Amino acid sequence: MSEIAIRTAGLSKSYGDKKALVGLDLEVRAGEIFGLLGHNGAGKTTTVNLLTTLLPPTGGQMVIGGHDGTANPDAVRRIIGYLPENVQFYDNLTTLENLRYFGRLSGLRRPDARIDQVLEYLDFTGHENERLGTFSKGMRQRVGIAQAILHEPAVLFLDEPTSGLDPQGVRKLREIIVGLNRDLGMTIFMNTHLLSEVTKTCTSIGVLTAGELRYHDSLAATLDAFPDESSLEDIYLHLDSPRVA
Amino acid sequence: MSGFRATLQQEVLSARRERMPQVLLIVFLGMVSVSSLIGWLTHRTVTSVWETTRAAGLTTAPNPFAHAASLSYVKNVVIYVVLIGALLAIVLGVSSTLRSRKSRTTDLVLSRPVDVAVHLGAKLTGMAIWLGAILAVAGALTWVSIALIMRGALSAGDTIRLAAFFGVAWVFLLVFVVVGMLSGIHSRRETSALLLPIVAWSVIVFVLPQLGTAALPVSLLNPVAAVPVEGGAFAGVQQIVGPFALGEQFKTLSGAALGTGSPGSLGLAAFAIVTALAAGLLVLLGTRRDHLRRDLRD
Repeated sequence: MSEIAIRTAGLSKSYGDKKALVGLDLEVRAGEIFGLLGHNGAGKTTTVNLLTTLLPPTGGQMVIGGHDGTANPDAVRRIIGYLPENVQFYDNLTTLENLRYFGRLSGLRRPDARIDQVLEYLDFTGHENERLGTFSKGMRQRVGIAQAILHEPAVLFLDEPTSGLDPQGVRKLREIIVGLNRDLGMTIFMNTHLLSEVTKTCTSIGVLTAGELRYHDSLAATLDAFPDESSLEDIYLHLDSPRVA
Repeated sequence: MSGFRATLQQEVLSARRERMPQVLLIVFLGMVSVSSLIGWLTHRTVTSVWETTRAAGLTTAPNPFAHAASLSYVKNVVIYVVLIGALLAIVLGVSSTLRSRKSRTTDLVLSRPVDVAVHLGAKLTGMAIWLGAILAVAGALTWVSIALIMRGALSAGDTIRLAAFFGVAWVFLLVFVVVGMLSGIHSRRETSALLLPIVAWSVIVFVLPQLGTAALPVSLLNPVAAVPVEGGAFAGVQQIVGPFALGEQFKTLSGAALGTGSPGSLGLAAFAIVTALAAGLLVLLGTRRDHLRRDLRD
């Protein structure tokens, strides 16, 4: 895998006259946890949908793990994992049945051993034969992470992963995300509007406003670059304001 | 290929656990299992009336059932396939594609290296296997019930005829599975996804035959063949809409398979059903990725 895990150049998406993403130029290095910050409607989910090849771009290029996402989307799909916001499953199937299905779609011929391994890693054993219709949001989110990492993707995309979770669930998920990066070396691209998540999990951040990337740097450099700000929240508000180019 | 097999297995598993198709399945198999009995009672009642009438010297006509084929008891099943079986097929088809939209799992599927045509083809194959299993059970029930009424096993020839009839029924019902799947993909609401193919079905089964021949939609139950229309406006309309009345075309093919007499052209009937299925498949397998990602509005 190349040193740059995600590279985009002028990546754009429009819906008619409405520009959802405007000329995104971005590089995320392999092994990073990148947090894309932005308000609701800033274009974060559109960005993830483009990078996961769910949406075709209207302009620009993107290379994920060395594969051109527009010319060869299937090559990208083989090396990524994706957890959408408010992940849902087939409720009348069990955890094992859902994971088997998604594992096989990802190319695993005999997914059961890998499912056991992943569920153990996520501290979720004992729920294999329960139907997902009975699960809490936090439990679903863990099954969501499981389906995303079953095939050991090089790049993991998480769209608002802590949305709707209680504080305990948020903490558990944060530990999982950091653990996946530390233990398995996964590059993680995470959308969020929660600053607390960024400070506790990410190594670099970007701020998206009205479809434009207004800032991108490491978390440490960001904190150094804004010494006058009293907290990261102030930095975020500063970056998110129209004054900053 | 593993994606095709995975989707196929997932379809069969999910369909098996859904309630509405299960209810329709019970009704369909229940009706099939008593259909031979109904056929036998009809046979006995008509014969009894005919004997009384003849004894009173009111008729010299032969018993209308005298030369009826041994599989004439199955005539009711033909109607159940057109009515309940088609509804079951529509519900299976709609559930198949609506399931992913309702559960919002489409993005999980499409973020993987999955070809849309292969994915939908696997779903359809899963439904086709499920439908085939249902019809195999219906066929076995029919065979047993006729054997019980006749107090003896059906001949090999009749068994083959019965199998051919259920084979034709399978192809006919696949048309409605495909229509249901397309509605499940393109409808904006869950209710309209189910309603639209049911409206289409009622037009195909009830309205088009009336426009064409004005023959009763249940004429197949009648031992006396429907009188063909000759000349006039009805004949002209029949030329145009006749091929689209798939229920009537199915009755023609069923009559030939069961040896109970077919009211129309076999070639036209086979062509109409196969063409409808091929056209549906072409549209289904040509579905674009973004169509699968449409959110439901309810």
